Amino acid sequence: MYRVQDEVSLLRASLAGETEAWGEIVSRYKEAVFGLCLGFLRNRADAEDLTHDAFIRAYVNLRRYRLDKKFSTWLFTIASNLCRNRLRYRRYHPVAPPPLQIDGGNDPAQIVAQEDRAAQVRGGIDSLPYDYRAPLVLRYYNDLSYKEIAEVLSLPEGTVKTRIHRGKIRLKHVLENEGVTHV
Amino acid sequence: MKTDNLDRLLTDLLHEEVERESFCLEGLEERIVTEMSGRLPRSGPFDLLKRLLAPTRGGRFAQVSVIGATAVIFLAVGIFLGNHLPVFAPALRRPAPAARAGENEILFVIPAPEAQSVVVVGSFNDWDETPLADADGDGVWTVNITLSPGRHEYAFVIDGRWWGHDPLADAHVRSFGEYNSVRYIGRVGDDV
Repeated sequence: MYRVQDEVSLLRASLAGETEAWGEIVSRYKEAVFGLCLGFLRNRADAEDLTHDAFIRAYVNLRRYRLDKKFSTWLFTIASNLCRNRLRYRRYHPVAPPPLQIDGGNDPAQIVAQEDRAAQVRGGIDSLPYDYRAPLVLRYYNDLSYKEIAEVLSLPEGTVKTRIHRGKIRLKHVLENEGVTHV
Repeated sequence: MKTDNLDRLLTDLLHEEVERESFCLEGLEERIVTEMSGRLPRSGPFDLLKRLLAPTRGGRFAQVSVIGATAVIFLAVGIFLGNHLPVFAPALRRPAPAARAGENEILFVIPAPEAQSVVVVGSFNDWDETPLADADGDGVWTVNITLSPGRHEYAFVIDGRWWGHDPLADAHVRSFGEYNSVRYIGRVGDDV
């Protein structure tokens, strides 16, 4: 692990060209960025690809980052923009959804029940338009505030609240139609 | 289903997915450190100015004076050349081009006599569609796009079908199983 622990020092060291410090930043944020990309794109290979690209792009453009801003928000903005571009690209290059893998323990009945429910919820999230899915992922996976989501997606805060609300209503309807009535 | 239950379901599912799939992140930091080794973050647009104006032992006043004097000399030479050397006059008096300094207006052109619609998508328009036009109906579709310096990857979409082999491109790359065209503007190697 890199010797410096505090984030600002790591960023300053990265700016000076100490790539090991940037490695520590990657280590701290890779899962959060991957979760964002996976939630947005619903495809592991693309999410893996763009997580890598987001850290490269952030490093190359690190001088544009202002230290008085929250670093994670800036990084998520880069990842979010890459995801949006990839989705546009995917309009012409669709990929098959990856096979579902669920670890439900040893009980076959429990495994089947979990697989069914997870598949239904997953299908519900997949079916949401990107404009609704993106703020939901930032809210429920990345745990961002409405203000931070607005910053990442370059939207007014009111629009973010509306989209999260409507996204949840849509998801709820989809799940109820699928017969998912309780958790 | 209650809203609270939905919130919890969403949170749990998204976290479970990441937990299940994040095995692919193993060693990512080492790969990026290796890739970035020896590279510095790109200089910002005002970095040079900041360095020049940074206070030093000699004092900021001296630095500003040197910069000011240099600017005055360049201005005087420019005025002299414009007034006394005819060869420079047209160039100096030419109106400013539509594109900003360093940018280039590039003509994208593709023959597609049977096509109903042709668009170009690429890194310069975030892979969104910029339509080409065939105003005279000769089957040659064109559009002018202003590109900033750097590397631009793109493809044409002719009636919904990907066409990445622009004969006028500087290079072609294979990406996600299909070909894309590449144009380099200005300094080669800057990804845009």
